[in-house]
Order: sequence, then structure tokens, then C-alpha cells
Amino acid sequence: MSQTGSPPRAIPRDSLASRLIQGIAGLADRPMAWIQHAVGGRGMAYVFLGPNILFFGLFVFLPIGINMAMSLTGGTNLFLSERPFIGGDHYRSLMQCGSYLDPASCREDHFWKGVSNTLKFTLFQMVAMVGTALVTALVLNRKIRGRGFFRAVYFFPVLLSPVVVALIWKWILQRDGLLNGAITLAGGEKILFFVEPGWAMFWAVFVSVWAHMGFYTLILLAGLQAIPADLYEAAEMDGTKPMRVLTRITLPLLWPNLVVVLVLVLIKAVQTFDEVFVLTGGGPGTATLMVVQYIYETAFANQVQNFGLAAAASMLLGSVLFALTMLQLWIARRKAA
Amino acid sequence: MAGLVLKGIGKSFGPVEVLRGIDLDVADGEFVVFVGPSGCGKSTLLRVIAGLEEVTSGTILIDGQDVTTERAAERGLAMVFQSYALYPHMSVYRNIAFALENMRLPPAEIEARVRRAATMLRLTDYLDRKPGALSGGQRQRVAIGRAVVRDPKIFLFDEPLSNLDAELRVATRKELAGLHAEIGGTMIYVTHDQVEAMTLANRIVVLNKGRIEQVGTPLELYNRPANLFVAGFIGSPRMNFIRGQVTPEGRLVTPDGKVTLPLPAGHAPGAEITLGIRPEHVLPAGGEAPDAILTVDLVEKLGSEAYLYGTLADGTALTLRSPLEDPARRGDSLPIRFERQRLHLFDAAGLAIRP
Ligand SMILES: Nc1ncnc2c1ncn2[C@@H]1O[C@H](COP(=O)(O)OP(=O)(O)O)[C@@H](O)[C@H]1O
Ligand SMILES: [Mg+2]
Repeated sequence: MSQTGSPPRAIPRDSLASRLIQGIAGLADRPMAWIQHAVGGRGMAYVFLGPNILFFGLFVFLPIGINMAMSLTGGTNLFLSERPFIGGDHYRSLMQCGSYLDPASCREDHFWKGVSNTLKFTLFQMVAMVGTALVTALVLNRKIRGRGFFRAVYFFPVLLSPVVVALIWKWILQRDGLLNGAITLAGGEKILFFVEPGWAMFWAVFVSVWAHMGFYTLILLAGLQAIPADLYEAAEMDGTKPMRVLTRITLPLLWPNLVVVLVLVLIKAVQTFDEVFVLTGGGPGTATLMVVQYIYETAFANQVQNFGLAAAASMLLGSVLFALTMLQLWIARRKAA
Repeated sequence: MAGLVLKGIGKSFGPVEVLRGIDLDVADGEFVVFVGPSGCGKSTLLRVIAGLEEVTSGTILIDGQDVTTERAAERGLAMVFQSYALYPHMSVYRNIAFALENMRLPPAEIEARVRRAATMLRLTDYLDRKPGALSGGQRQRVAIGRAVVRDPKIFLFDEPLSNLDAELRVATRKELAGLHAEIGGTMIYVTHDQVEAMTLANRIVVLNKGRIEQVGTPLELYNRPANLFVAGFIGSPRMNFIRGQVTPEGRLVTPDGKVTLPLPAGHAPGAEITLGIRPEHVLPAGGEAPDAILTVDLVEKLGSEAYLYGTLADGTALTLRSPLEDPARRGDSLPIRFERQRLHLFDAAGLAIRP
């Protein structure tokens, strides 16, 4: 095997490095030849896929199976063998509601509060995220001074850990934080951002948009740059007003990218946990409690660790995410076709 | 329809001067072709006229109005791009109607105009298609249709045929000539192909390195090129050039003295002169006294005629166009004559010497 592939060009053929690489790579020759002999040429594909499939099975599919089993069993024991089978009881109690429009009327009121908060959060976030990312991309796509600098600046928060982002904003927003300091300096009254439910939700959305917008801006920017410049010149020759250029040329041609961004934002928003949890702790009360936080608390943080109920809620959330992912794949395929 | 006047147009991109001192008058209804080698500034000049590029110096008048600082959208011109620049997400109909919708014409008027243009350009069956589902020639016609419906003051074309195959190019060229005859607008057309220029133009503007070398009708440029550049650029195969010095007897002798050629009277002995003669004006000497002997290196037989590529005794390359099917063979020594009335003479600076 090592004889057929010539070493990379940068390394002289007879150098020590080249011999070393060939020597090490050569160690695999005999075992590989032996395996290939054993499984045949076609079988080799599975040999190479094997480690990855094993990894996925161990850390993705197996946990999903365990989670499924957890959701169908009761008790507080962590070990499946010690848990009694109870069928769909957890699902039934999750779905037990006087009215689905009123979380308080449900048996698992926090779950439904989480669902309702997550829906609200997702809706606001999608509008705010796509809106700001689009405007930012449109501005950064123009020939402005320091364009490269601004592109980097807007992308920078994406590189930060969500927890770091939330902590930074907590310092800014808390009672004696930076923002309230500025407000007092300007002669205003301090605002207790984490005590007012409306403010807490606003900042939860704001911070997550701040943190992730750069990523979606980048996708939209790539889409904008793929629009040929001569279309804009043709539109100019056609006497098109700037607003009409935006609505009749830019947006329709950007539409495929916009859809991708919309779906990605949606999928991420439904899973929101860490940023909001660190920022508001789900409060005040349950005003910013998201579904994932409910699951986390039900399983690990409450006095009684109800793994089964949390697992059932996970399964429900998982199926929503599965549907959304299918939607995204379908859109991506349709675009490619 | 409108006339166009360019006065002292200059254009630089940063330190690079792309256009220099362009002066030009285009009459109302005229078909003017800008021709020149690739990179000489044709597109830039067209875009300056369109308003897509700002001038660095000079003035642009359309119909006597100074439009130098007007934006492209305000100038009322239409442009057909080399890439066609059709809106890919709009149907052919919407592509053609788009500019009319921008003008806020009544829908009935828009429809009537689009249908008329579609009929003229044989696009009626394709109005519902997207540009992606059209052939190159059809896209080309949509691009032209988009310009035609607007009834612009001036049509601008930037190498509109360069993306078509040879056959379609000839066909579309004829259609464009027909279009001009039919609607009679002022048209400015950019090409690097001198055959397109010769066949389409009322007047040709030859550009080179950002300057105008000569402006004239196709035949003026062919018969009376103002300088070596135009002489070499217009005509295919290109004109033959033989450099030499005038002898005391009034003949032209090449630097190595191996070839002497006749010259019209009146040139000062010792002057450096370049003699130009088109391939179609070099004849086999037949029975007459030859002007020179051509050693044939290559024969191209086109059926209707043949091109002979050869060298003179001093090594100067020379092309001859023969109406004969099979006039000579490689390696032949062919006695040739130059048609006396068809000699072009250029001085040391490359400018034509007019008798
Ligand atoms: N936007 C630009 N920036 C810098 N240089 C340019 C630009 N557009 C054209 N040029 C230069 O100007 C010269 C003329 O270009 P162009 O007008 O496109 O030539 P042509 O159409 O005759 O082939 C070329 O050397 C080209 O590189
Ligand atoms: Mg060009």
C-alpha cells in the first residue's frame, strides 16, 4: 500500500520524514491485507465505517434506546433492571391537561409552561435573529469602510461559550450591573431586568440573538455574494428603485438561504437551555423556563429525581426535533435538485 | 432615440488610466461599433456611457443634455450585457416587463409592449419559462427584448454575441442588423470581433489602449486606415507589413537589402517607411514582372479560396489570398505582384502617408 501512494510533495522522497511516514503507514499494510483477504473488497467499506458506527451507536443510538426504556418505566432508580415497567403512564401524565392553552391547568404545569415559553422564545427569536442577521448581512455586503473588521466583530460572539456569553450579559444586566449604572448616570431609575417577566424574556431573546447572529449572518452573506453583480447593474439600467431591488431581486434570490437559516434557527431555539438558564435561571418564577430546563430539573435537580418523566418529555421534544430536521433535510435536498 | 456626444472622457481605476481623451459624436439613429483588442477599454467606455461607471474627466451629452453626473437609472438607456444578466427567478415575460413595471406604465400597455417585443424576437412560446430553461440564443433574445420594450434613448450592447456558437452568432448578427433597420434606434455596440464591426456598423470606432485610433465607416477604415494599428486590426487575414527605407531611386528596400519593392513617387530618399498590402491585394505575378518572390510555408484551402502563408527573401512574413482553389504547394517559390492602387504607406511614427 505504501508503495502505491507517493508521499506529499512538500516532503522530499528520500528524506528521513518521508521514510518515517512510510514506515509507520507501512505497519498497517499487513493487517489491512489480511482483513481485506478475510472480508473481501466490498466488505472493506464496512470495516472503515465500523469505528464510526460503533461510536454513534454507543453515544447516540444506545442512549436514545435507554431513554426510551426509561420513559416507559417508573420509580427513582437509575438502573433499568431495578425499574418497573409502567407503559405510557409518564406520557399520559405529561399530556394530562384541563386546557392545553393554560399550562396551570395541566398536571405537569412546568412542562407546559416550558412548552409555552419555548414557543414564545422561538417565535421572537426567529423573527429577531433572521431580521437582524439579514440586515447585518445586507449592510456588510456593501462596499463599506472596514468591512472585514465588522465581519469579524459580528462573528466573534459565535466563538464564545454560551455560558460565558450569559455571564457577561448577567454582569451587564443585573441590579447593579453596567446597564443600570449607565441608566442611573443618565438620571433614570434602575430597572430590575430579572424580576420583570417581560424584561427577562426580552433579554433571553436578545442575548441569544447577540450570541448567534454572526453565524447566520455569515450564511446570508455567502448567499448575497453568490448573486451576480451584473443583475444589480441590469436592475440599475432598468431604472429600479433600491427598495424594489431588495424585494424583487435580492430577497427572492436569497430565499433558499433564508429558508435554511429559518429552519436552523428554529431547531436551535427549540433546544435552548444553557444561555437562558445561566442568564435568568428560568425566572422570575417560571417566566423564562424552557422545555429543556424542565427536563434537566425533573431528572437531576429536583428533590425527587423523576428520570422516567424527564425521559418521556425528552422523547416528545426529540420527536419534534426529528420532524424539524426532516424538514430541513427535505429543503436542502430540494435546493440541491 | 437620441444622439450622444462624448467630450474628453477619461477614466482611471486608481492609478490605472483606462480611457484617455475620448471625443466622439454619435448621430441620432446611428449604429456605432466600438472595436479593439481585449482590454483596450471598450466595456469601460460603454459602462461610462451607461452610467454604471463614473468618469474621471470629461462630459457626456445625451440629446444635448449634460448627463455626466446622472445615475444610470436616470439616463434612459438600455444595455444588453455579455452575460445577458437575466433575472433567473423571473419568467421571460417578467424579465421583459420588469423595467416597464418600474416606470409604472398601465398594465395593458405593459402587456401590449411585451407581446410586441416577444413577437418580433420569436419569444412568444417561451414567455412563461424561466431563463434557465432557455438556450443561449433564446436568452440572448430575451436580453434584447428587455432592452427593446423600453424604447430607450440609446441601446448599448457589450459583446452580446460572444457567448453564442459560430452559426448562431452569424444568424443573430443578421437579426440585430434587421432590428436596427426596423426600429431605427441609436445603437452602440462593443465587440472585439472586427467582422461583427464591419457587418453591423454605420461607423466604427477603433479603440486601442484607451484611446480612439480612428473613427469611420467600415469601408473608410478598410480602404484608408489612419495608422498601422487600424490597418492591422481591420481586415482578415490581417494586412501584410514590410518595413524598409526609401532608396535614392525612390524604391523601398528592406534593412538587409534583400528585397526591393516599387513605391509611388514622392518619398524622400532615406525615409523609414512601412508598406502595407492586404492579402487580397497580393497577386501571383503570372506573366508579368514580379515585385517579389514568396516562399510558400503553408497553404490553407477553404474551397472558395485559399490562403498562402509564406516569407519574402528577407524573412518578412506575407499572406496572400488567392481566388484559386489550389494555387500552390508548400515550398513553392511563387512570383507575386502588389496591386499598385492598394498600397498603404506609413511613416516612421506609424501614421498613414496620404498622397
Ligand atoms: N473595475 C475595475 N477596476 C480596475 N480595473 C478595471 C476595472 N474594470 C476594467 N478594468 C481594467 O480596464 C481595462 C479595460 O477593461 P475593459 O473596458 O473591460 O476592456 P475590454 O472590454 O476592451 O476588453 C482592463 O485593463 C481592465 O483590467
Ligand atoms: Mg469587455
